[in-house]
Order: sequence, then C-alpha cells, then structure tokens
Amino acid sequence: MKPSSSRRSAFGLAAALLALGLAPLFIRNDFYLDGFILVFLWASFSGAWNILGGYAGMVSLGHNAFFAIGAYTSTLLFLRLGITPWLGMFAGGLLAAAVGILLGIVCFRLRSHYFALATLAFGQVVFILTMNWRGLTQGAEGIALPIEPSLAHMVFASKLAYVYLGFGLFLVVLAVAIAIERSRLGYFLTAFRENEDAARALGVKTGQVRLIAMALSAFLSAVAGTYYAQYVVYIDPSGVSRLQLSVQVALFAIVGGLGTFSGPIIGACIFVPITIALRSYLGTTAPGLHMIIYGLILVLTMLYMPKGIYGTLKARMTARTQKESRR
Amino acid sequence: MDLTLFVQLLISGLLLGGVYALSSIGLTLIFGVMKIVNFAHGEFLMIAMYLSFWLYHLLHVDPYLSIAVVAPALFGLGLLTYHIGVRPTLGAPHLNQIFVMVGLSIVIENAALLWWSADFRTVTLDYLRVQIVLGPYPGFGLEEVIINPGRLIAFFVGLAISVAFYFFLKLSYSGKIIRATSQDRSTALLMGIDIDKVYRLTFAVGLLLVGVAGALMIPMFTVHPFVGFEFVLVMFVVVVFGGMGSVAGAVLAGLFIGVVEVFSDFLIGPDSKQAVYFLLFIAVLVLKPSGLFGLKGEEEVERIEAIE
Repeated sequence: MKPSSSRRSAFGLAAALLALGLAPLFIRNDFYLDGFILVFLWASFSGAWNILGGYAGMVSLGHNAFFAIGAYTSTLLFLRLGITPWLGMFAGGLLAAAVGILLGIVCFRLRSHYFALATLAFGQVVFILTMNWRGLTQGAEGIALPIEPSLAHMVFASKLAYVYLGFGLFLVVLAVAIAIERSRLGYFLTAFRENEDAARALGVKTGQVRLIAMALSAFLSAVAGTYYAQYVVYIDPSGVSRLQLSVQVALFAIVGGLGTFSGPIIGACIFVPITIALRSYLGTTAPGLHMIIYGLILVLTMLYMPKGIYGTLKARMTARTQKESRR
Repeated sequence: MDLTLFVQLLISGLLLGGVYALSSIGLTLIFGVMKIVNFAHGEFLMIAMYLSFWLYHLLHVDPYLSIAVVAPALFGLGLLTYHIGVRPTLGAPHLNQIFVMVGLSIVIENAALLWWSADFRTVTLDYLRVQIVLGPYPGFGLEEVIINPGRLIAFFVGLAISVAFYFFLKLSYSGKIIRATSQDRSTALLMGIDIDKVYRLTFAVGLLLVGVAGALMIPMFTVHPFVGFEFVLVMFVVVVFGGMGSVAGAVLAGLFIGVVEVFSDFLIGPDSKQAVYFLLFIAVLVLKPSGLFGLKGEEEVERIEAIE
C-alpha cells in the first residue's frame, strides 16, 4: 500500500467530521436536530462498547449496567448533594470503571459464549436493582431532573447546545478509539482476539490489557449515560438499564464495522434515521417494526458481511489499490 | 417456617422446576453438540406457546393434544433455522454465532408484537380448576398441602419426556451419533458420521423439545411477545448450573432453580427473586463454570470448523 492512502483516509475522516459538526448549524428544525443528538449519543455508547467488544472480541451483553450507573450516579449526585453533572459525569464514569474492573477480574477467564452469558446476567442484576431499590432509584417510576436551563446544571433550552455536547462526547470516544487502534494496547487487544495462546506466548499480558479496555469501555458508556439523562431529563430502568440497550449498541458497532473506530458512527447513521422515520410515519400503528428491521439487518450482516459495512468496504478498497499498484 | 409451609413451598418449587427443566433440555443439547448458545431459544418457546394457544382458541384443540402438532412444527422450524441461520456461521467467530441468534430473536419477538399485539393471552381449562389436596398427615405434623394440577401434569409429562429422550440418546442410532459428535467431533467425523446431519438433527430435536414445553406451559402461563425473554434468562441459568451440554444436569438444575425461585419469592419477595438466581448464576460461572455436571474445560472449548 502506498503511504498516501493513510493520509487520504485521515483527510476523509477530517472532512466527514467537519460535515457532521457543521451541518447542525444550518438546520433550524428541532426534529432533525434531535436526530443528530441521537446519532451522537448512540455512536458514543456504541463506540465505548466497541473498545471491549470490537478490539478485544469480548462480547458483553451487560453494558446497559454501565450506562445506568452513569445516568443514576450523576443524577442522584445532582439531586441529593447538588453536585454539578459536569463532575457527576466523572464520578459515574469512575464508578462504572471500578465495577467493570471487578466484573472483568471475575469473568475474564470465561470464553466467548460464557462471557456473554455472565455479562448478560450482570446487566440483568443491575436492571433488577434499579427496578427494586426504590429508596435510591424510585424504581419504575423513574427520576425527573428539574428543567432549569443553565450551563452549570448541564441542562439547555436549545437543542443545538445538546447537539454540540453530544458531538464533543463523540469526538472524545473517537479519539480514544483512534488512540487505542494506533497504540500498543490496540495491537495487544487484537492479538488476544485473534489468538490468545499465541499472544501470551509473545508476552502480551492478556488479562491486564483487557482490564484496561474494560475500564475505558465502562467509563465512556457511563458518560454516555449521563449525557442521556441530561438530554431526556428523566431516567427510569426501561430507559437506561434495560438489557436491550446492550444488544442495540453491539448491533450498531457490528453492522457498522466491528473493531474499527468508524464502525459505531456508521451504524448509528444508518439505524437512527430508520428508527426516526418509521416512528414518525407509522407512529404507534406498527409497534416493533423498527426492531424487526434492526434484527433483519443484523442477521443479514452476520451472514453476508461478517466484517460489517466498514470492514467490507475497506477490504474491497485495499484489494483494488493492491491491484493498481501491481500494474 | 413451619413444616407444612416448607413442604408446600418445596412441592411448588419442584413443580415449577419441572417446567424449567423441560424447556432447558433443548438448549443444553444444542450447546453440548454444537457449542452454540441458542439465544433465540426463548422466542421458539414463545412460538410454541402461541401455536398451542391459537389451536385452542380457533380450533378448540386441547393444549395437551396440541403437542402432536406443535412439536413437529417446531422440529420443522428447527430444520429451517439451521439451514438459514446456523449452518453458515458454524466456522465463523463466536461473535457472529451469538449475534445471528440474537438478531433472530429480535425479529421473532417483534414480529409477534406486530401480528399478535402485546396482549396477554391465556388458556383456561375447566378440568384444571380442581385442586389436588394432600393430607393432612397429623402423624408427620403436616397439614393440607395444595397441588396445582396443571403443573403436576407438566411435571410428569416433562419427566417422562426427559427419560424417553435419555433413552433416545443412549440406545438409538441417531442418539449415538449425536453423543459421539458431542464427545469428540473429529473422531466422529473419522468414523464416517455425517456431522452436518447430526447438527441438523440436534437443532431440530432441541426445538421439538421446547415445542413440547410450550404446549405444556400454555394452560398455566400467559403468553405475550416478551414471554420468551422472561423464560430464556431462567433457561440460561438452568443450563449453566447443570453444566452446558448435560441433559441430566439440566433436569436437576431446573428443579433446583424452581425451588430457589419459590423460596426466595416467599422469603425476599417477588421483586427480587430473579436477582437471587442471577447472583447464583454469576457465582457458578465464576467458581465452577463447567457447572455441576458439565465436562471440565468445556467453557474454554475451541471453536469448531465450518462444515465443508
């Protein structure tokens, strides 16, 4: 491959980000701005999942727990102790990272399907806790944040402010993913995913690098949870801790391109508009239709494009450049 | 807790556990032979329950007789699913195997929501209204113990099917090649066993078993699009507890989890009973991931190659 191709892709990335970042400025319609917010929210959460699920190949079905920890921690710290969500966000992230490390220590010796089942059980325990620990979470009733727009409270009147808050979060997740991909950590994680025994034989501390990935992944998922809470200004178990959230973010990353930093945003850019369009055109007449489409896309991707959209495109492009350079 | 209450809870728990055991056998069989967790197993249970419900509702077929239709239908659905969704991913990474089945479960669940709405549907059978009363046995210090006849039927039919299935695996040629493949795939292949056929049969039989479970459950449990999700979580607990791939383990673990659920329901309350067995579940995964009856090292098993 010629060196220009990596420069070309860096240029493409910058152009895409610029377009994503500038487009909302020209949109006056709250309906479309809401779409941008959801794209950034899901791309961030999905990107966080991708750090563990994509690079390390550890399929977690319990990331709803981290999202919930983030949402509840910042919200409760704000309502009970008056701590601004700007700090509460970090508190939630650190708590989630700590919980993630504990979960990792306990579950990392489990392989593939067993790890997925263990994390699923963990996510479900957190869901049950948020449903039943009423003194803390008010159960299914949920907790509402006061709607008093102020920068200090991280509550805004204009959607545009939320768009850029979400964009900022997405850029952070993207930066972490790119940094991982280019650092030794990324290679270690990939080595583990491809062949654990070989990675160990070469001296990769597979336990340690996976714990780092888990902590980063949990931290960023929790921050996405805080962002959700601040935007919706209401959290309840079905919004922030249901198991389906984990499946959904995994789905975005997988369809977009697993273990690539572009995958989650591609997934979010495909699925969020589908959801919004179906909801607004069909309303409540066809409940579940958007989930049927999600499921079908997931199954078809797994069967015919196992590397996801980005992975498949990249493989084609590489094949083409190789053919050209051979001429 | 007095003795009567204890016996009452124990019996209720065992009867509930019988249902769990029966619905989990197919899941553990598929895992044991193919090393695949069927994440859509709950949705297949839901389909079986709906089939049985509609047969009763539209054609007035008794749910227990509907087994004759539901079980073969699920067997056929198993063949179809194997061909479309399972076979192509056999050599693929685990992630692909997991998410094909997860995607399938999402599609089935929401298709049911779309077609049949979120209504809760029940079948009430007049002859199951009677209550079986045991006792009192003053000699043992026991007062009356009440038994739900629907659960009793499900328990004994489930037990009979588990035993029949055990002998199918032990004695029939099909059972033998399934066991051979489960124990050592490469050697089975060398002995001339058609692995593809074994997998196809295993998957279809796994679904047939869950079909029987669905028909037995419809007189007692309401069916709705999310019923599969509710039950599949319990089934995962049962299967891991009994040791993935162990049929006898699934039966015993099913009974155990049923008892745990009924007791924690009584002692802690219905809201938190699920949390109890999920914590148990994580504890088993951590301390003895191979379960109570599983083969050691099974949880770290290598993925199998694609069928050529």
